[in-house]
Amino acid sequence: MAAPEVHHLFHNPIADHSFSADHKTLAIARDTTVELYSRVGNSFKLVDELKGHDKTVTSVDIAPNSGRIVSCSQDRNALVWEPSPQGYKPTLVLLRINRAATFVRWSPSETKFAVGSGDRLIAVCYFEEENDWWVSKHLKKPIRSTITTVAWHPNSVLLAAGSTDAHARVFSSFIKGVDARPEPGVWGERLPFNTVCGEFLNNSAGWVHAVAFSPSGDALAYAAHDSSITVVYPSGPDQPPKAVISVNTQLLPFMSLIWNGEAEIIAAGYDCEAFRFKGGINGWQLSGTLEAKGRPGLSDNREDSALNMFRQMDLRGKAKDDTQLKTVHQNTITMLRPYETSGGAVRKFSSSGVDGRIVIWHT
Amino acid sequence: MSIIQQHTAASLSDAWRTINIDALVEDSPLNFDTSTLHPPLAPTSEAEARQVNAQVRQLLRAGDAEGALRGCLEMPVYNAESDNAREVHLATVVEVLQSIKASEMTPLLQRIYASPGGSECLDVLMKYLYKGMAAGPTGGSAPRTPTRVTPQQTGFSQVGSRPGVSTESTGAAMSVLLSWHEKVVEVGGLGCIGRVMTDWRKV
Repeated sequence: MAAPEVHHLFHNPIADHSFSADHKTLAIARDTTVELYSRVGNSFKLVDELKGHDKTVTSVDIAPNSGRIVSCSQDRNALVWEPSPQGYKPTLVLLRINRAATFVRWSPSETKFAVGSGDRLIAVCYFEEENDWWVSKHLKKPIRSTITTVAWHPNSVLLAAGSTDAHARVFSSFIKGVDARPEPGVWGERLPFNTVCGEFLNNSAGWVHAVAFSPSGDALAYAAHDSSITVVYPSGPDQPPKAVISVNTQLLPFMSLIWNGEAEIIAAGYDCEAFRFKGGINGWQLSGTLEAKGRPGLSDNREDSALNMFRQMDLRGKAKDDTQLKTVHQNTITMLRPYETSGGAVRKFSSSGVDGRIVIWHT
Repeated sequence: MSIIQQHTAASLSDAWRTINIDALVEDSPLNFDTSTLHPPLAPTSEAEARQVNAQVRQLLRAGDAEGALRGCLEMPVYNAESDNAREVHLATVVEVLQSIKASEMTPLLQRIYASPGGSECLDVLMKYLYKGMAAGPTGGSAPRTPTRVTPQQTGFSQVGSRPGVSTESTGAAMSVLLSWHEKVVEVGGLGCIGRVMTDWRKV
């Protein structure tokens, strides 16, 4: 396994990151701005700052085909940044929420995006041609608390959302005139707007931090604050799911997860490293970390001179400098995203976290 | 960006900041019974808790410490009809914990963890450890005396000033719970503590 590619951008937390389809542009949500980095050789250089929000930007997403960037912030707004030869032009989206916007993602069709918010609703936004304006429809029922995360089904109609009321839910976000009528599937047959296709809660019911559909869209995984991941296999409309598998781990909670094919999930969070889960409908289990232990460059196998040792003892009261974690990320990982995929499998994925690092991993 | 151009006496003072706007919104979480978010739990009566206690004691007498521990962890009192049921069950758990030798703790916990549903059992055990530590010296077997907070001149010898508490038994009970805590974290990891804190089912 090749070594991960580490980019330490700055000493601030990264709320969210997104790569463009050609991997040349990297958008970072940092404080109240979205920073755009461009790949120069082996590193990333800051090329542009998108200023438009006046509170912390919570999430950012680049649409792979159109190149549009959507960002949302605690100032209750979402902005769509249209690429143009003169730079990015912002358009305000009519969200109609009175709490912070927490999470935003483009649908795979790129005609819609969903914004989660602290207002106990999800705003599904689409472009209205006649008014030349991004408008939204609200998914409200039966959400009881802040939406922390959303994820799209490959058909661009179904939307999964995780909330601080400890439920992971699957909704239909079908919008007439925007979406093609979806094929009936395991989640439901007729799917008018705000159909609740599934509502899941695990035993100890922690906040849901991350949700993700499997590549086929026929299974849903979510990670909650009780250090667990749960995988749900639905069986059809109005029927109990075929299987709901919860894996409680000995680790700290996971903040983000992605599927790698149908039989593998990669999750990362407060342990500052990524872990691999393997399984299927008959059961899932933790199979190990993606961190290669004892990588070269770690300071613990460096030879120390006696002089240096006594100097350290004198200065710091200890011989070993143990202020560095043994993981690549030096703080919580908050976001994982697929970087390079082939078919349903993820070849490389990227992670960002509180330590201001972007790391590109090989699976 | 502000659309508020005109100030009034009311808007200049900051009294409005203390208004709880959530109380005014009909469907806000403040006006919502959050217990309906979870499936209801079967209530346990004091008699049932005592029955478990008797069964567990029998297992202990027969020398089956693992069975006794599993037995009381698989039937936690989440929804008690009275506080007594909770106290009785806590006393049962503490009794089992005290009867197990220090050298047997880790292998026993590992066996439980490896068995199906074992991770859940350790979470329950952790809940009772924390409850036991919070309950104080009597381990819940006798009616608990409310901890009296008396203002201290020196701020040092707080333990000695509590009435009706023998320090030695406090120390002994706590050290049992603490050593179990250490062993449970070794086997169940930090995730176990996290789950106890997030879980809505309290013991």
